Order: sequence, then structure tokens, then C-alpha cells
Amino acid sequence: MMLIKISWRNIWRNSARSLVIIVAIVLGVLGGNFSAAIRLGVERQNFRETVEHQVSHIQLHHPDFIANPEAHYRIEDGSKVAGDISELPEVAHVSPRIVFEGMAASANMNAGVRIKGVDPEAETAATDLGHLITDGSYFEETGRLPSVIIGKELAEELNTEVGSRIVLTFQDISGEMVSASFRIEGLYEVTSTAFEKRNLFVRKVDIEELIGKPEVITEIAVVLHDVDTYREVAEHLQESYPGTSVRHWADMQPSLYYSLEFLNQNLIWIVGLIILGVSFGLLNTILMSVLERVRELGILMAIGMKKTKVFGMIVLETTMLAIIGGVAGLGVSWGMIRYLNQRGMDISGFGGEGMGDFGYASVIHPELDPGFYFEVAVVIVAFAILAACYPAWKAIRFVPAEAVREE
Amino acid sequence: MKTVIKTQGLSKTYTNTAVPVEALKDISLEFKEGEFTAIVGPSGSGKTTFLNVIGGLDKPTKGNVIIDDVDIASMKESQLFDFRLKHIGFVFQAYNLIPVLTATENVSFIMLLQKRPKEEMNKRAKEMLEQVGLGDKLDVRPNKLSGGQQQRVAVARALASRPDFVLADEPTANLDTESAFNLLDIMARLNREENITLIFSTHDQRVIDRARRVIKLVDGAVDKDETFDRD
Repeated sequence: MMLIKISWRNIWRNSARSLVIIVAIVLGVLGGNFSAAIRLGVERQNFRETVEHQVSHIQLHHPDFIANPEAHYRIEDGSKVAGDISELPEVAHVSPRIVFEGMAASANMNAGVRIKGVDPEAETAATDLGHLITDGSYFEETGRLPSVIIGKELAEELNTEVGSRIVLTFQDISGEMVSASFRIEGLYEVTSTAFEKRNLFVRKVDIEELIGKPEVITEIAVVLHDVDTYREVAEHLQESYPGTSVRHWADMQPSLYYSLEFLNQNLIWIVGLIILGVSFGLLNTILMSVLERVRELGILMAIGMKKTKVFGMIVLETTMLAIIGGVAGLGVSWGMIRYLNQRGMDISGFGGEGMGDFGYASVIHPELDPGFYFEVAVVIVAFAILAACYPAWKAIRFVPAEAVREE
Repeated sequence: MKTVIKTQGLSKTYTNTAVPVEALKDISLEFKEGEFTAIVGPSGSGKTTFLNVIGGLDKPTKGNVIIDDVDIASMKESQLFDFRLKHIGFVFQAYNLIPVLTATENVSFIMLLQKRPKEEMNKRAKEMLEQVGLGDKLDVRPNKLSGGQQQRVAVARALASRPDFVLADEPTANLDTESAFNLLDIMARLNREENITLIFSTHDQRVIDRARRVIKLVDGAVDKDETFDRD
């Protein structure tokens, strides 16, 4: 207890110096946590946008469809497969689709697109498409022309708008070219402008009517209750449906997967590097404090205070400073990250608009897991103890007989 | 009277200087329980070295220091820490105290390291501070005390744990005359009342005049060893 009391009082002997290092630790922790939170927030947002709105957790295709996305590479008994998968306890939603590569043409422009015939309800359940509509409506109209939902970017590229007619051209299952007019019922928006330009949605029944073949399914998107089970469920599906190619989101988006994996494993070291830098400041502060107390430390050892206790006292002083700075830094960064997570950081004014081209949002929601704060706390204390070792070692190297005569 | 310290052929040579310096030369002395001894001599005569060696802060090059039937000259450093804590009280020239502790905490400190019960520690610390005339400064930190008061706290600390003997290295060197006399009176009284052996290094005549035994060192050797009846 006395050691704690002495250490505590020692750190306030030069309160200005202690406050400076505490502020440095606060800023270091804040800077480290904040940059980590932005990085993690961006990648997780990207994950949510890409996986939840675009690719889903798992997709099933005919094995040849991946390299050659033509509709005749359909999933055998697709409707039954989709129905059976939806019965699995791990599965939350299933969206069976018929997908064609084709061309969309407005009055004066055209573009290569991927046409997705979907069940509107199943698609919204799986990808939230119905809630991504920013103009028009989502498969509510039942007019003379079938409805199509296109991305806002594609609408701009085709120089068209909601209510206008576009012609979709694609090869049917037998290789025949099919062309049909569709009315743009709604525009959707996602973060990725590339996805918006490339993907459009029509009712599956309308496509089936056009090609004259019902129940054709070339793609089944699967959404799980718990994303962490994706590998096991994908393996299970692959075993259950050997005639299909089952891919999970990490297979489909490897760069996103590796980016998240890297962050999960290394984020603490990014923050750790900053804290390491700050800990050199801490080392310097404690070393100065030790060198100012040569005589006092000599007297402590002369009257019988063991070197281990002197060493412990110096380590305790350093750790206390680090804990004060660390707790304050963690508190401030927690509050700031929480506030900005809820409010969002709009970086469009700093060139963030262009981030959509790379699939990133221009409004960032920084986030950190609660466990990460604990990891940072452990790193702070660990580095503080390491930083204390040199001054503490220096202190116990003093020869009491000489130290007590220091002026 | 019981012999508290016995030195036999004590020599100390410093070799970490350009020319080896013989600080102590073949000193053989005995100190009895309750003695009040002044080690005197000019600067560089070996007073401080002698105190350091018999206090276990420094090792002799040759010879023995027998305390409580144990030769501390052959002890390991870690054993010396324990030995000093249990057997020896120290008063240094100045700035003796731990600045962040109150007078009571400073006096209790050695007893705390000795793991004495808290009640005993507090009672003894208060008693000692009252004995040195600082009963009204129990919770005052050193920076609020005068130099003389700080030395009195240091004396109280050195005596509080009832060591076998107390070594004081020029304790009055930084004190004005009144404070020095005051401190000496207190130390002489405690020497009598507590029967604790006190050994000073000093060239302060005021201290020498109070000592019942005066050992004069010249060039690291005993020049004179005189006993006086001061009562």
C-alpha cells in the first residue's frame, strides 16, 4: 500500500510534466483508436454494402456459369433446391434468380448489363433491394410493359429516368436473341457505382414468359442468420448439391475478405505502433524523474529498501501515468467514435464522392469492437511496463553510498 | 557492556581513481552498546568511508566488520539490504526524508519495510516525533519543515525501529547553531533513554564536545581514540 501511495504522490511531484505525458498518451490512444475505427468502419461498411446488398453470404450456380454466365447453365431443379435450402435452420433468406448477360438500350444510349430476374419479395428479403429505391417504386406497377429496376448510375449513363422505356436484349436458354421493352419503375442506389451501372432487376415471371420456359434458375443467393457460419454452411451445401458450384462471400470478394482479416488480426498492432511511440516519451519522463531523485533513491536503498521494491516503485509510477492517460484516452476515443458512428462522417467534401467508384461510401461510420478497447488497454500497460524497465534498472544500479552524497 | 560493532584490520582502497587511494588503513575498533562516539578528522581522512563500511553500504578491501557475531564484510548485497534494515539506523547530512511522505509516514517507513503491525508503527512514530519535539507536525510534509526539523524527523526515523546502532554522517553540517544544539540535545537524550549506540562522523566542534568517545582519523588510520566523561 505504501509503495502505491509513494508512487502516486511521486507522479504528482512535477504535475506539469506528468500532465504533459498524460496528454500525450491521451492523444496517442485517441489518434490510434480513431484511425483504427475509421479503417474498420470503412471496411465493415464495405462488407455490409457488398455482402448484404449485392453478393449475399453464399451463392449457388451451375459449375460452368461462373466462367460463362449463360442462362443455359442453369441449376437442375433450381426451385426445389432453393426451397430445400430455405428450410435449413442456419438460413434466413433465399433468393432464386435467372441471370442473363445482355444489353440495355434507351432512346439514344446503350450499355452492357447483367439482367437479374428475381422474385421481388425474396430479393428484398435477401438484399434489401426494395428499400434501396431512391426514385420511383419497387415492382408495384402492373402496366402494359413489364417493370425494371435499374441503378441510378445506369439511368444517368443511359440518359433516362423513371417512367421511361428501355429495351433489354439477351440470349435465351436456347441461344436465341430476345429483345423486349421494359418500363423503368424505380432507381436504386448502393455505394458501389460499378454495381449500379451493371445490375438491373426484372420480375422473374416476366423473363420466364419472354423465354417461354418456367422455373429456370441460374443463381441462388443465400443469406444466413449468422454470417460467421458461412464456411460450414457453404461446405454443407456443396456436399448436398454436388452438381452446383457453391461459393461463399469470401470466395466471391477475396480482397474484401483479406482486408477484413488483416484488420482483425493487425489492427491492434497499428494502434500499438502509435502507443510504442508514446511510450518512448513516457520512458523519457520517468528517466528524468529518476535522475532527479538519485539521492532520494540512494537513501531509500541505504535504509534497507530492497532493489526489487525500488524497481517496482518506478514501474508502478510509470504504469500509473500510463493508466491515467490510457483510461482517459480510451474514454475520449470511445465517446468520439460512438458519436461519429451514430452521426456519420461525411467526407464527400474531401473528395469522398469518388470513393463510390471503388465501392466505398462517402459517409463513414467509424467503429471499434468493445474487446478492442480492452486489447489497447493491455498494450498500453504492457508498453508502460517495458518503458519503465530502463529507468527502473538505472535506479537500482545506483550505489547507495555514492547516491546519498549526490547534490 | 556488550560489543555492538567490532572491526578487525579494516582497510579500504579505491582503485577506480587515477591513482589508488587508501581510504582506510588497518582499523581495529570496538563500539559498545550505548556509546556516543564522534569520528572526527579533516576532509578526506576516511570518516564517511568508515561509516559506509561499518554500515554495510560499502565493502572493505581487507578486514572484518563483526556485528551481532556476523561478519558483514562477507555478506552478499541482498543480505546487506536486510541487515541494514534490521540492525542499523542512518541519518545523513541533509535531505534525508522522502519528500512525498508526511513526518509520521517518514518515521514509520523503516518499520513498514520491516513489516511491523500498523498500530505499533503509528504509535511508535508518534511517540518518536513527540520525543524530538515535533508532536505538532505529524502530518506535515518535509517541504513545510525547516532544515533542523527535517533532521529531527530523520533522527526519529533512524531510532524508531530500535536498531542496534545509528550511524550519522555529519548530521549538523547544514544546520544553524541553534538547530544543531537542539538536534544534539535530542540525540544525546535518546542515546541515554533508548540506550542506542550512536556513531557520528563530524568535524563540527559542537558535536565533538558532546561525544563521550572521540576517534580521530588521519589519512585513513586511527590517530586518537579518547573517552570523556560528559555526565
